[in-house]
Amino acid sequence: MAIEYQPRIIGFLCSWCSYAGADMAGTARIAYPPNVRIIRVPCSGRVDPLFVVKCFQQGADGVLVAGCHPGDCHYVEGNYHTRRRFALLRPFLDFLGIERERFRVEWVSASEGRRFSQVVSSFTQELLSLGPREGPAER
Amino acid sequence: MEAIERIRDKARELLESQAVECVIGYERATDNVGARPLFAYEPGEVARFIFDQTCHHNLTRYLRDKKDRTVAVVAKPCDSRAINMLINEKQLERERVFIIGVVCPGMVEVGWSRPSQELQPLCRYCRQHTPVVYDFLAGEPPAEEPEPSPPYPDVAEMEGRSVAERRAFWSQHFERCIRCYACRQACPGCYCTECFVDRLDPLWVGIRIAPGENEMWNTIRAYHLAGRCIDCGSCQQVCPVNIPLMLLNRKLGKEVEELFDFQAGLDAETLPPLVTFKKEEKLEADL
Repeated sequence: MAIEYQPRIIGFLCSWCSYAGADMAGTARIAYPPNVRIIRVPCSGRVDPLFVVKCFQQGADGVLVAGCHPGDCHYVEGNYHTRRRFALLRPFLDFLGIERERFRVEWVSASEGRRFSQVVSSFTQELLSLGPREGPAER
Repeated sequence: MEAIERIRDKARELLESQAVECVIGYERATDNVGARPLFAYEPGEVARFIFDQTCHHNLTRYLRDKKDRTVAVVAKPCDSRAINMLINEKQLERERVFIIGVVCPGMVEVGWSRPSQELQPLCRYCRQHTPVVYDFLAGEPPAEEPEPSPPYPDVAEMEGRSVAERRAFWSQHFERCIRCYACRQACPGCYCTECFVDRLDPLWVGIRIAPGENEMWNTIRAYHLAGRCIDCGSCQQVCPVNIPLMLLNRKLGKEVEELFDFQAGLDAETLPPLVTFKKEEKLEADL
């Protein structure tokens, strides 16, 4: 029997907002798909584009970077840098043949448990409709 | 007077007056077709300098090695942008470099026995025929710079293909990469003392020569030049397996120009886009 395809998402969540937001989803018993593997980072500005490319190279179907809303960064300006960095990386990945839809940057605050759940659900849905990623047979 | 005579005269003058320790320029290579770098320390050596359409090397790569001395360098327009980029990144002092700018007719491919008549692809899209910074200019600048439209025809062509086609295109190129890192060695912007690819812990790029690792290397190499690449094409020129590396660099160049209205190295003061930000900018559409 064929095993149903389930996308694997790597989520880099900033410790101050989005990770707390995911935690909020948990305490509020808001369900979200278990496809996301969460990596906690001190700030979304900590996420080097290298991490994202590495995830894709290692076989991730999607990568999510989530941080505080612009203006709310715990380190004042970390997420402004995040925004510029990934605004460049996204079209670049697309240029290399990794669909735009596979990489997302979202702003999720500590109180937005429901929003976190919605982000993960819609991302998972989108990846399901895209199907598995075709990469080099031998990584 | 021919541009080359002016370069030689200036080099002789600089060396005789000991204003600089060394003049970096081009000489005819031993195959009698191409060019190679010449480091002239004595006024007697200046007669060996040449400048023609085979002088494609970006000599600014050598400037950081001679950081503590005063040197002169022959710089084409793209090379002059590299100098601005390096000064901006605090890798060079303007006072220690004497720039002999040359008006560039565009470079040609160098074959086995004679230079080809065709301009290199990159030079066909060139928008800068006069150096952006120089102390002395050899040659007559053109009345106006060409404005190709669209400015990135090669990138636009690639963007027109489907994602699957692009993926296939790049994977067949990256598969051939032997990871010699010649692209890094030739690039004026790749000067980190420890490159991410040489690190063993964390091992960002595995030491296997495998498609995935090659892809990782080529992606990040290009990304590290986002907003910094000055379009000289040295990486592509030295690639032993002819991967179109400049297509990657130019894609990022195009995005940077569209999003942040910035081209690297046009001056030495403007901060490159990835070290700064504007609070009010709206980039969410691209995220």
